[in-house]
Amino acid sequence: MSILTRKDKRIVKDGLWDNNPITFQVLGICSALAVTVQVKTALVMCLALTFVLALSNTIISLLRNFIPSKIRIIVQLSVISTLVILADQVLKAYMFDVSKQLSVFVGLIITNCIVMGRAEACAMRNPPFKSFLDGLGNALGYSAVLMCVATAREIFGSGTLLGFQIVPQVLYDHGYVDCGLMVLAPGAFFLLGAIIWIQRAVSGYKEAN
Amino acid sequence: MDKQSTAYTFLFALAVCAICSFTLAAVSEGLRPKKEMNAALDVKKNILKAVVLKEPIGPKAKGEEILEVFKEKIEEVVIDESGEVLDWIKSGEAKKERNKHLLYIYREEDEIIAYCFPVEGKGLWSTLYGYLALEPDGITVRGITFYKHGETPGLGAEIEQAWFQDNFKGKKVWDAEKKKAMPIKVIKGKVKDKIFASQRPYSVDGISGATMTSQGVTDLLAEWNNIYEPFLNKIRNFPEIHRGD
Repeated sequence: MSILTRKDKRIVKDGLWDNNPITFQVLGICSALAVTVQVKTALVMCLALTFVLALSNTIISLLRNFIPSKIRIIVQLSVISTLVILADQVLKAYMFDVSKQLSVFVGLIITNCIVMGRAEACAMRNPPFKSFLDGLGNALGYSAVLMCVATAREIFGSGTLLGFQIVPQVLYDHGYVDCGLMVLAPGAFFLLGAIIWIQRAVSGYKEAN
Repeated sequence: MDKQSTAYTFLFALAVCAICSFTLAAVSEGLRPKKEMNAALDVKKNILKAVVLKEPIGPKAKGEEILEVFKEKIEEVVIDESGEVLDWIKSGEAKKERNKHLLYIYREEDEIIAYCFPVEGKGLWSTLYGYLALEPDGITVRGITFYKHGETPGLGAEIEQAWFQDNFKGKKVWDAEKKKAMPIKVIKGKVKDKIFASQRPYSVDGISGATMTSQGVTDLLAEWNNIYEPFLNKIRNFPEIHRGD
C-alpha cells in the first residue's frame, strides 16, 4: 500500500503541518476570514482551492522548462486564472446556491497568495508529481485550518453545523444567545490567532531572529 | 530556438493566451444554458415564495417542476406609470423602457390570489433585490422575499431569513382611515415594544446590528410602493383588473 514513497508523504505532510500555508506562512487568510461563517461554504471553497492549487502546480511544473523567465509570473497567473474561472463556472452551473453565497471569493482564489507562492517556490523547480503533491499538501493544510475556523464559527455564531441545529432550543429558552462576534470577520481573526498559537506551541516553532 | 529571445517569448505568450481563452470560451458556452436556467429559476422560485402558494413547492423541487408551476399559475404583465396594464408590450422589453414595470399575477383556478412586484434598493454594502406580494385587496401584504444581496452574514443578511420575511405577512400598505399610502417601515427593535397600536400594521421588527440594512429596506419599500401606487389604487377600487381600457 505504498504508492507514495516516504519522501512523497513528507511533501504532503510539510504543507499540512510543518509548513502550513496559513499557520506557518500566514498566507491566504483573507478568504479564511471571509468564507468561514458556515461550514458548507468553507467546504466548497476548500474543494475549489484544492482543485486549483493541485492542478496549477502540476501544469506549471510541466511547463517549467518552456516558460521564458521574463514572463513567468504572467504565465503562472494565466494558468491559475483559467483554472479559477473554470471552477467558478462549474459552481455557477451545478451548485448555484453555494456559488451565490461565495460570491466573489471563488474568483479571488486567483489572488490567493498560496497559489502563486507555491507555483513560484515549488512548481517552477520540481517535477510534476512532486509539485502536485506539494499543491495537494498545501491545499489540505489550508482546508484543515478553514474547517476548524468554520466549524467553531458556525456552532458558536449560529448554533448550527452544516445547517443542522446543534445548540438545543432549551438553551435558547433559558437565555442562551448566539455569539454575534463569530459571524463577523473579527471573530475569525481571533480564532485564527488562537489556532496559529496552538499549532506553533505544539510544533515547537520558534521565530527566527 | 533561444528560450530567452523575444520571438520565443512572444510565441509562448500567444500560445498560452490562445489555449486559455479557448478553454474558457468553450466551458462558458457549454455551461451557458445551465447557468441561465439557474438564474431564471432563482427569480421564479422567489416570486413563487413571495406570493405564498396554496400548495407550496418542496425545497427539493426540480427545476422543471418550478417552471411548470410558474407557467401555470403566474401571469407576467407590464404596467405603465398610470397603473394601466399594457397588452401590447412584451415583458422582456419592459426593462428597457422607462416607467414600464413588471407585475406578476398569481391565480388559482381563475381567481386572483396575489399581485407581486419587484423591489430593489441600496442596503449597507449592496443592492437588495426582492419581491413583494400583496393580497387582491391591494392593501395587505401576502409575502416578501429578498433573494440577492451582499449584506453582512448574520446581520444584514438576516433579511433573507424566514423570521424577518414572515414579519411582513398581514401588514398593510394603505391607511384606510387617513386614506393614504403607508409603506411598511422596518423599525429599531420590536414592534410590540416600540410602536403605538395604531401604527403597528405598518411596522415590522428590525434586525439588531443591521440598522443601515433595515433603513435600506424601509426606503426601497417606500420607493417601490410609490411606483406601483397608481396600479394598486385601481385594484383597491375595483376587485377585478380592467385590462387595456
